[in-house]
Amino acid sequence: MDNLGELLHGFGIAITLPHLALMVIGVLLGILVGVLPGLGAPNGVSLLLPLTFGMQPVSAIILLSSMYWGALFGGSVTSILFNIPGEPSSVATTFDGYPMARDGRPTTALATAFGSAAFGALIGVILITFLASWVAQVALAFGPAEYFAVYFLAFASFVGMGGAAPIKTVVALAIGFAIAAIGIDTVSGSVRLTMGVDELVKGVNFVVAVMGLFGIGELLVAVEEEFHARAVSSKIEWREVFRAVGRLPRHSVALLRSAAIGCWMGITPGGPTAASFMSYGIARRFSRRGRYFGTGEVEGIISPETADHAAGTSALLPMLSLGIPGSATAAVMMGGLMIWGLNPGPMLFVDQKDFVWGMIASMYVGNIVAVVLVLLTVPVFAALMRIPFVIIAPLIVIICVVGAYSVSNSYLDVVMMLGFGIVGYLFKKLFYPLAPLVLAIVIGDKAEDAFRQSMLMSKGSLGIFFANKLVTCLIVAGIVLLLLPLVLQLARLLRKPAPSIHETTVQNTARETAREKVII
Amino acid sequence: MISRRALELATAVLTGSFGVAVVVSSLDNGIGWSSAGVDAGTFPFLTGIIIVLGSFYNLVRGLMPVASLANVPIAITSIELRRLAGLFVPAAIFVAAIPLAGMYVASALYIFAVLAIPRQQSVPRALGMAAATALALYVVFERMFQVSLPHGALAAAFGF
Repeated sequence: MDNLGELLHGFGIAITLPHLALMVIGVLLGILVGVLPGLGAPNGVSLLLPLTFGMQPVSAIILLSSMYWGALFGGSVTSILFNIPGEPSSVATTFDGYPMARDGRPTTALATAFGSAAFGALIGVILITFLASWVAQVALAFGPAEYFAVYFLAFASFVGMGGAAPIKTVVALAIGFAIAAIGIDTVSGSVRLTMGVDELVKGVNFVVAVMGLFGIGELLVAVEEEFHARAVSSKIEWREVFRAVGRLPRHSVALLRSAAIGCWMGITPGGPTAASFMSYGIARRFSRRGRYFGTGEVEGIISPETADHAAGTSALLPMLSLGIPGSATAAVMMGGLMIWGLNPGPMLFVDQKDFVWGMIASMYVGNIVAVVLVLLTVPVFAALMRIPFVIIAPLIVIICVVGAYSVSNSYLDVVMMLGFGIVGYLFKKLFYPLAPLVLAIVIGDKAEDAFRQSMLMSKGSLGIFFANKLVTCLIVAGIVLLLLPLVLQLARLLRKPAPSIHETTVQNTARETAREKVII
Repeated sequence: MISRRALELATAVLTGSFGVAVVVSSLDNGIGWSSAGVDAGTFPFLTGIIIVLGSFYNLVRGLMPVASLANVPIAITSIELRRLAGLFVPAAIFVAAIPLAGMYVASALYIFAVLAIPRQQSVPRALGMAAATALALYVVFERMFQVSLPHGALAAAFGF
């Protein structure tokens, strides 16, 4: 029960007036970026990053993680009230949340969503409290080969379970690795991949990439469809809030199942988006009222929301204990950790106890703050949605430009950010996944270093990756995940010998459309 | 109008040429094994090869006539294309104007232009919003967080 003692100590750090104030600011900013289309958690967090350089790391991470909670909640508000998902991970919430709100029960829909979201987050934090330090302890014994194996497993699970077309995932990952390699090589000191541009010696900062890929890219996707913010009433009736939350325990099976799905998808880098879709799909299949899904079913709101928040929270577990972020936002936060001079990974639990436990404790408090604030501010942020997009869009462009510039006071960064914007738009449009790309930019260097160090230890023999049971298991699991899509495809081909060509096209198209919807 | 297939092909060519550039550039750093361990160019070289091969696969898949989405729907209609350009072209001009006009002037002009020219807002209101944007940037960055944004060549010429 060491952990509980440490956690209490952490509460002592998290519950101070300045930190509570930071949580409120973070959550409000988070709801704002969650509500606005074109701004999301990853680029919201990276926008704040340059402003945290002067802070204590623990205060900085409290601000950033609170923003993350706020963004997760904010995304659900617009999904339910406007049928416009503010975040990709809250797309599944629109399926039942909006119909329920349209039928005159917006308070019920919102309260159900927030209640189950808080439950999912709570399960995620509890998981981190009890598991993270244990994982970190195991990881303390890791050498470079084990580390490379874990990285390999993380990247392979994107390919095997990410839901996007596997080859597109591989291309996105490899591009991320190549971008991470630009600049000075940390091992040999030689300059790589600058293609003759001297300014690239400093490398490409991930914040610049995130601003472009998620900020400008998302904006370009959003401007295509002229959406009409036809809101249902956004008035909150407090008595109905408590009634809706009180009814949640009746759906405890759905809650627990969704939380489990969310935690699993968060720890393995499947991400919140995949988790919420998967949870919704499974709920529809197993619920007795499955055929009413899509018309405003309570469990249709509970399932994606719980899984979304459980995944978003537990994505921080591998970041803290292994140095491998489980989602794009976690990757940005991990980049922040490195900028503040901390080394994400097991040593955090030894060297930076105050930081780790202060952060974990703040996750409990921050989520409570988030639920209260989001309920209080729903009408305000709903009013914000009525500002025309033509005014919001140029403001977001300016925010992204300034954000990219302020990372290292470089104009080249701004130009690159715009370039990343085009890439982000194309990738989104064609369903290339963006999370693995960002992940590879942030931890590509570390993965490469681990690989090269293991090669030095083994004098160039790949045998080091099969030297002991642990590393062999990790590598084999990674290879299995990599080959999974191929095996599934072969199995599908063998099962259905040869239907007529026309039929295949139609079926495939339907299936691909369904699948592609999932990975946006 | 741009078809899904054309977009897939263009993206595959884009990623593929990035891959080729990575491969060529990494050869300068040396690939393979030397006395100092794995050479600096090896890892980028391998990722470059993966990018090229993956892009080639995506290219071929985009070209194949059946059993793929590539030739079914239209990816971007002409109306959408106009909206895209309406957002992106002013943004690109804004970024291009920063070295000369500086961040404050450029962003004020940008806001004014996108609001007043398509008659989205009346001229006085657009002027007000433009000024407010520049002022907010100045207060938040230059004053509160002590981050200096570029003032531009014109401002420098006037001695700011």
